[in-house]
Parts: sequence; C-alpha cells; structure tokens
Amino acid sequence: MTVPLAKLSVAGMTKSFQDLDVLRDISVDVAKGEFISIVGPSGCGKTTFLRIIGGLEKATSGTARLDGRVIDGPGSDRGFVFQHDNLLPWRTVFSNAQIGPEIGGYVNAEQAKRTHSLLRLVGLDGFAGFFPRHLSGGMRQRVNLARALAVDPDLLLMDEPFSALDAQTREIMQTELLRIWEEGRKTALFVTHQIDEAVYLSDRVFVFGRRPGRISEIVPIDLPRPRPLSVKRRPEFVALVDRIWQLIEEDVRASVLEERG
Amino acid sequence: MTIPVTTKTPTMPFVARRTSVRAGIHAAFKAVTRRFGWSTISVLGGLVVWELISRYLVASKLFLAAPTQIAAALIELAQGGELQKHIAISALEFFSGYAIAAIAGVAIGMVMVGSAVGKQMLQPWISGIYATPTVALAPLFILWCGIGVASKIIVVVVLVIFPVIINTEAGLLTTSKDLVETVRSFGADSRQVFLKVSLPSALPFIFAGLKLGIGRGLIGVVVAELFGSRAGLGQLISQSAETFNMPALFAGVAILAAAGIAMTSGFTWLERRLLPWKD
Repeated sequence: MTVPLAKLSVAGMTKSFQDLDVLRDISVDVAKGEFISIVGPSGCGKTTFLRIIGGLEKATSGTARLDGRVIDGPGSDRGFVFQHDNLLPWRTVFSNAQIGPEIGGYVNAEQAKRTHSLLRLVGLDGFAGFFPRHLSGGMRQRVNLARALAVDPDLLLMDEPFSALDAQTREIMQTELLRIWEEGRKTALFVTHQIDEAVYLSDRVFVFGRRPGRISEIVPIDLPRPRPLSVKRRPEFVALVDRIWQLIEEDVRASVLEERG
Repeated sequence: MTIPVTTKTPTMPFVARRTSVRAGIHAAFKAVTRRFGWSTISVLGGLVVWELISRYLVASKLFLAAPTQIAAALIELAQGGELQKHIAISALEFFSGYAIAAIAGVAIGMVMVGSAVGKQMLQPWISGIYATPTVALAPLFILWCGIGVASKIIVVVVLVIFPVIINTEAGLLTTSKDLVETVRSFGADSRQVFLKVSLPSALPFIFAGLKLGIGRGLIGVVVAELFGSRAGLGQLISQSAETFNMPALFAGVAILAAAGIAMTSGFTWLERRLLPWKD
C-alpha cells in the first residue's frame, strides 16, 4: 500500500543471516503522525526491522527512506527507546536525558530547558538529579523515553519498552505514552508482544509472520482518541485483539514448539 | 539532591536497671562501642596488650619496643629534624613513581584495548613481568642508577604499573555493549563512545587498580631503600636494625603504616566523591 507523502517509506527490505531470511521483501509506508505497532511471534524479525530503521543494523537489500532520505546508519532524526532502559549509571536522570543533544553538540540553556520540560512531561519532575539506581523500572523507562524525545526526532522507535515492567505498571505506562504522544504526535513505530497493547496504542498494527519475516497483514485500528484504559473492555477492542491473535496464532504455536525442540 | 541515610540504631533500647552494677558497665560499654565503633576498641586493646607484653613478658629493648617507647622515639626523631628528612625523601620517591605509573598504566591499558597489534605486542611482557617478583630486581636498578632517588622511583613504577594496566584493560573490556549501542543510536562517533561510555564505565576498575598500587608502591620504596640508600624511611629502618634501635625501627614502620592507611582511606573518600553513582 502507498500513502501519499509518506514519512517513512520501506521498499523491498530483506535481511538475511547466512541462508536464513529474517526479513524478506518488506515494502510499507507510514504517514506523518501515525502510531504503528508491530506484533508477531518470536523470531519474526520485528525487532530486526526496527533496528534497521534505527540504523543499528544494515539491510541485506532494499531501502528505508525517512522524508525521502535513505537511512544509512543511526542519526538524531530518530529516537530509539530500548527494551532495557540502557541508562548510563554514572549520569543523573537529567544528564541521561541530555545525552542526545550533547552528542549532537547543541547543548545550551534553551535546550536544557526543553529537556527539563520533557522530564516534567514524562512525570519525572523533581528527579532530575537522581541516579538511575535510585529509580524504579517504570521511572527508568520514562527517562528512556524522555532521552529519545530530547533530540526532537522525526521518528520515534520503541522496542518492547514495557516488556520488563509488571502488568499494572505497564498499563499505566501505556496511557502515559499516549498522553505524551498526543503532545507532539510524532510518527512512531512500536514493537510489542502484547496484542492488546498494540491495539490500544496504534492507528495501524503491522502483523508480522515468520520464516521468512514479512508483513502478513495490516490491521487499521479506528478507535477514537483520546483512548481511556476502559476502551480495552469495549467489544470493538476485544474483536480487534481477537482478530490479530487469530492471524498469528498458528505462527506462535509453531515457534513455541520449535523452542521446545 | 539528598539521599535518605538510614542509621543503624538498635530497635530494642537497652533498659538499664539502676541497681545492677553489671548492667551499668554493660550500658557504658555499649555507649563506647556505639560512639567509637569496634575497630577503635580493637586497635586500642591491641596497643594495650602490646605495651604489656613488651614491658613485662619480653622486656628486652633488643627485640621489641613498647608503643610508648615508639611514640617517644618519633618525637625525638622529629625534634632533630631527621624524621622529616626521611619522610620527604621517601614521599618524593613514592609520589614520583606513583604518578608516572598511574599515567603510563592507564595509557598502556587503553592501548591494549584500542589496538589489537598493541595488545599482542604488550601482553607477553605484561604477563611475564607481572608474574615475576619484581622487587627482586631492586638491586639491579640500584646498580644501574645509583643509590639516589632515581632507582627507587623505578622500583615503585614497576610495582605500581601492573595492577593499573590490568584493571584499566579489564574495566574498558567490561563496558556494556548495550550502552555503547545506545549512544551510537544518537550518532556518537568512536571518540564520543570512548569518552561518554567506555571511560566512565572503566573508572571504578581504574580506581581499584590505583588503590592496589598504594600498598605495592610503599613496599617498593622501602625495599629499594633497604638495598641501598642515603636517606628515607627504609634507610631509617635498616640503620636502626643494625644498631638494635628498636623504637626507631618501629617508628619508621609506624609512619609507613600511617601513610598507607591515610592514602587508602583518602582514596576511598575521593572515589565516593568522584563516583557518587556507585554504592
């Protein structure tokens, strides 16, 4: 499918390790301001897909373009939110959040003010001087998010950022993420294992299949925004989760059996 | 920022019975241990035992000196200006050698991580020399460089540099790949990766190596001076031994012990200031 004036445009992306195609011939467009979730069974290449867009890995063939420019390595036009928070333990919350601008070499008073307001946005007002080891898992992921936003990226890439959190904290973080995202409506790619998380957050869900990794279906989510948590109990929501689950169920079974040997 | 500090206080306060003398002593003892800590009591107790043994059990000036005699010797040596001279010489030797070893050790450790060729060329030498008891080479350095300060500095450098090299290397190698990838995702070049991730993550290791170097450096100074020198605490010790002046010998040892303790705890303090993110 083609979106006119796509923000992100992926064409014929293939990634192979030796003989194995982790991703095969993926072509997809993402419009500006869209929130996309990527779901699929383990080993479907969804994280690899995100890492290639982030410039952390190279595609074997095919291209990804951001605003028309071919992606060829990492850059501050993208903000990557890692699965494990990866905060630098010797830096305070503020100084962790500032690392992107610092690397880019554009730190000044105004920039610092912006980062402070981002910390306020993610709910860490008053924690700027804390070291990561004094924070809870949820708070650390908020810093992880603020750090990615601090470079004011065109594209926000999130790799299962809530997977290490307990179920309750995760639900809260989902609503928080939506609240923060509504502020700037950045184009976002969000990889997750949780189907209900994908449906709750997204405008569209890319369902990946495995062996080889490819997009087997794109499911539009037309639930109205803003979405309160209670939307998860609505029948449309449940129907969407059910539909996506049916799409990947067979693949998940196959991957579980394979892992069991 | 303030981090709440929890102080260890006994949850069950001791209830003193006024009528019981034992309870009174117990309470006093508890108050003392709480005020000064068990280490102070242990040290003071040890000094008292030492004093008693050297006064009544050994009671020979040729073999042992009592703490009070050592204190007297210290005062006497200081009044004559002799002690200051020895300390100054030994301190010069120690700090020059230590500074050279610290800077060179960190630099060599970095080369070992940064360059595969450098690593291959340096590794056999480092493994070999580290495994050798290098103090045994002190007479050789004295033969080469004379009995002055230079030969002592070389011995200190040789002893201190290895733990610094090895720890710097180990610290840089344990840098988390995830953290490196994180700063790379923001477009960091290799210089920025080194300065913002590898180096800070290696600092605790480098500090540990430098701390190990303190004790080794002090050994180096004394041993090198024992083999031949004009002045220094090692020279004071060997000269006192030759004249069976036990109080002066122990005075030299006491200064060295105090220096070791002071520098190590100074280092711990510095570490806490420079690495506040560590436990």
